[in-house]
Amino acid sequence: MAETAVATQAPAIGETLRRRPYIPVFVTLAVVTALELAITTPGYFPVLEHTFRIVLLVIMSTIKASLVVAYYMHLRYEPRWLALIPLAGLALVAVLVAALTATVAH
Amino acid sequence: MAHPEPAGEEEEHHGSPWPVIIAVGMGVGYVGIVSASVPMLLVGVVIFGGGAGGWIHQDMQEPSSAFYGLATSVESRFPRVSARKLGTWLFLATEIMFFSAIIGSSFTLRLRTGTPGLATFQGPWATPGQILNVPLTGLNTFILICSSLTMVEALSAIERDDKVKHRFYLLATLLLGITFLSIQAFEYQHLYFGEGLTFTHAPLGSAVNPLYGPTFYAQTGVHGSHVTAGVLALAYVTRKAFKGGFTKENHEAIELVGLYWHFVDVVWIFLFTIVYLV
Repeated sequence: MAETAVATQAPAIGETLRRRPYIPVFVTLAVVTALELAITTPGYFPVLEHTFRIVLLVIMSTIKASLVVAYYMHLRYEPRWLALIPLAGLALVAVLVAALTATVAH
Repeated sequence: MAHPEPAGEEEEHHGSPWPVIIAVGMGVGYVGIVSASVPMLLVGVVIFGGGAGGWIHQDMQEPSSAFYGLATSVESRFPRVSARKLGTWLFLATEIMFFSAIIGSSFTLRLRTGTPGLATFQGPWATPGQILNVPLTGLNTFILICSSLTMVEALSAIERDDKVKHRFYLLATLLLGITFLSIQAFEYQHLYFGEGLTFTHAPLGSAVNPLYGPTFYAQTGVHGSHVTAGVLALAYVTRKAFKGGFTKENHEAIELVGLYWHFVDVVWIFLFTIVYLV
């Protein structure tokens, strides 16, 4: 039984040795953070309407978080079923957001 | 046999009393917090500290592969994902909900009490940069991103059996984490005593909503406490790495601490936007 378990682990260990794009992800995170700061600094990009600016910021944050989860937390290289665990947490977050939105709208 | 023993080991250890003692300490401490009993809280802290110290001492004395037999037996049911990694992801899923509750409730308070025209209006929310030092926190965000890179490089190095780089990147991650906390402590000190942004009041004469302060400290404080826990975990694995505790074949603790550290980074990515930029 132990041999079977170790054998199923072997491809994962070999896979981790493959070169992964850690530096490009880091550069992207740094550039997007600089962009976030730029569009919220008074005087920079004054043409951006407030709501549009917020939507842009949310999109940029989501891109950054997705990159960290996919590449630094290795979710991209894990079996797909593992993603169901954080997705289950996010599903409950969606319920929370819906409930809070109803509270605010009330 | 339920848990196969690794070859060459005379006796396999499958359990340790220390996690149970840690849990008891946390339980006593929480009861102390809920019942506002400082002595009980202190007793809980002492039990927790003793349990954590005992566990670390035990782990430093024995190979950390002591639980391999138990772990691999579970791995056969979840291909390519160890029991410990699965447990860490489940823990992180609960953390997603925890932070969502803190951020969600703060944002609801912001919308309900900071929107002019509503009956619940208590004053406007501070605009970005009005009270908070956004460039300084931008620098802190960059530091946390750097620490994520060094953390993942530490894992990559030990996977290649490069122990020198592994130790260097772990130490760099630890120092970056401490720098992040130091800047946050400086920010708190400046905001609380310099600007007058307290748990109950906005800065004098600013007309900012009084709930701005408590929601700010709740969100960033909870995150800061998680970073503190991450720094303690990093200090532990860094010390162990310098004692030769990790090898190419046995380094799962690095990956698990890394998962937690990157998660803390992900939370900050959203907090930075919501608290400082919006």
